[in-house]
Amino acid sequence: MIQVTDLSKSYSRGDKGLVHALVDVSFEIAKGEFVVVRGASGSGKSTLLNLIGCLDVPTSGRYLFAGEDVADYRDKQLARIRNQKIGFIFQSFNLLPRTTAIENVELPLVYLDGRVDRKRALAALERVGLAARARHFPNELSGGEQQRVAIARALINSPGLILADEPTGNLDQKAGAEVMGILQELHKEGRTILLVTHDDEVARYARRELFLRDGRIISDRTLPGHGHSTAIGGAR
Amino acid sequence: MKIHALISQATRVTRRYPLRSTLMTGGVLIGIASLALLTSVGEATKHLTMQRFKNMIGTFDTLMVRPGGAKSRGMPTLVNVPPTLRFDDAQAIAQLPEIKSVAEMQSAFDIDIKYRDKTASPGVFGVSPNWLALRSDELAEGNFFTEEQNSALARVAVIGTDVRSALFPEEDPLGKTIRIAEVPFQVIGILQSRGAGPAGGSLDNVILIPVSTASRRLFNRDYLTMLIAQLRDPNQADIVTSEVQTLLRYRHSIRPPELDDFTVTNPRATMARVTQAGNTLSRILTGVSVLALLIGGAVIMGLMSIAVSERRNEVGVRRSVGASQSDIVVQFMFEALFVALMGGLGGVAIGCGAVLLGARMRMMPANLLWQPFAQGIVLSLVIGLLCGIYPAWKASRIDPIQAIRF
Ligand SMILES: Nc1ncnc2c1ncn2[C@@H]1O[C@H](COP(=O)(O)OP(=O)(O)OP(=O)(O)O)[C@@H](O)[C@H]1O
Ligand SMILES: [Mg+2]
Repeated sequence: MIQVTDLSKSYSRGDKGLVHALVDVSFEIAKGEFVVVRGASGSGKSTLLNLIGCLDVPTSGRYLFAGEDVADYRDKQLARIRNQKIGFIFQSFNLLPRTTAIENVELPLVYLDGRVDRKRALAALERVGLAARARHFPNELSGGEQQRVAIARALINSPGLILADEPTGNLDQKAGAEVMGILQELHKEGRTILLVTHDDEVARYARRELFLRDGRIISDRTLPGHGHSTAIGGAR
Repeated sequence: MKIHALISQATRVTRRYPLRSTLMTGGVLIGIASLALLTSVGEATKHLTMQRFKNMIGTFDTLMVRPGGAKSRGMPTLVNVPPTLRFDDAQAIAQLPEIKSVAEMQSAFDIDIKYRDKTASPGVFGVSPNWLALRSDELAEGNFFTEEQNSALARVAVIGTDVRSALFPEEDPLGKTIRIAEVPFQVIGILQSRGAGPAGGSLDNVILIPVSTASRRLFNRDYLTMLIAQLRDPNQADIVTSEVQTLLRYRHSIRPPELDDFTVTNPRATMARVTQAGNTLSRILTGVSVLALLIGGAVIMGLMSIAVSERRNEVGVRRSVGASQSDIVVQFMFEALFVALMGGLGGVAIGCGAVLLGARMRMMPANLLWQPFAQGIVLSLVIGLLCGIYPAWKASRIDPIQAIRF
């Protein structure tokens, strides 16, 4: 599903020279994997996710998404991939303000073909247990609820890849567990999930861990067992 | 289909930020309203001036010759008439081959008219029998006086509608005897109403009597207030004007450097000047409102640019869920177009209302022209388009990664 070869990303900071956010990173992720990306703050985790999510372009290296070299794609084609193949979930939810939950969930449909289908959006909200909050505005929802609306938005076009950048970072334990429960279900449906987190509890949901330091992958290992996830599943 | 969804996103955004949208709409609204109102006023005034001018001049295939030099150009003054234009001048002009006929006129404005216990003081005009035809005036009732009545110094009068209502509010004036400066005259006809003149005053407060009768029995003058010469070919007005000038200078023994003691006006030329002045007025008014519109446009552009900075996160989110740069451009362009169009429609409605109100309060004619309003709508769209370009471009250049970092 994802093949990354010698991927690098540098940011110029004017006089202060270049920041090497990612340096020669190579790995593959197969369809259906649940991978957690870990590392200290500033180690390049978000940068990696943005590159994989086609929101950013690498300085060098190769990135094949579903076998296609994304480097050749124009803005419109990248937008299409983000719209149909990838669902983003962010730490800060990133819902549109003054916009109801359901309208937020519908947003990807606007850029799919413009056919905004209320029923589909409502089904997506139902999926995350928030059908009753469809007409609420983000500032009327708790953090956990906002994040679930964001998940419904990420799901509406049924993408194969979910990219979650510290999705529980702004949530308390319980809301975080709810969000992770939903991600786990999505994984069980066969979706590929790439998760960034600082939280050991959250990291345990994944089966594989990529560890970054100063923009390089210093460890790529399979995580042992997943009895923990069943426990949470039971608690829900 | 997709464009439809983008338009709907744009209109939703304008609803989500009502204050900002109202401010943006307001600028264009004021501009369009003043544009529509001022151009309507300008056009209506021009129209009215032309109409009144026409009322006064009558036909256009004529020259008007008045005594006195060029100091009082423009509209003829009828009081303080210099004694330089005479009956035999009129006859000489009538001999010119390009002239079809000449009508003579003497006037007085300080004469009392009486009928029984009622009085009036209209303008008293001694005119030749062809006057009516040359002015393309018409009679409402009765007859005009004939060549024979003029030669016989007949005491007959044709009255305007104002005189009729002053002296004969309930009676039929025809055949009645009125007294003009104590001289009895018989009313033989009533003029059709002519409405207002260029200065707005009534043209119906008049009495017409045969010019010979006026000259010998009433005014004791052998000079004219004005004569009207009808041209055989209206296109020769300029040539004939200078011919008449040459003839009169010769007859009055005027040599250069002496100036004319008469004035020849060509109604066509005067009309053109009046129209020109009206056009200039409309242009100035249009300029003022275009300025207002530009300010409205600048308001849209400024507020939208600020809005773009405030909405960086929104743009980033939209990009992350699949908006391309061009989708962002389209959305912001439609936002600008939408608020500008709302302003345009509101402005047109207000402008329309103001014109109708003005007409109702009789401050201006109820002459609702559609052009200023159509112009207003089109202009608002153009403004929206032009003012949307920069903010839309700016929005499309936002880096989504920067924008969605918390
Ligand atoms: N647009 C940018 N311009 C300059 N430097 C940047 C930019 N974006 C990221 N960086 C730098 O690149 C490095 C990696 O940043 P990144 O956001 O990927 O870190 P991270 O691992 O996600 O950290 P965190 O855990 O705090 O979210 C950091 O040193 C950061 O300062
Ligand atoms: Mg990060």
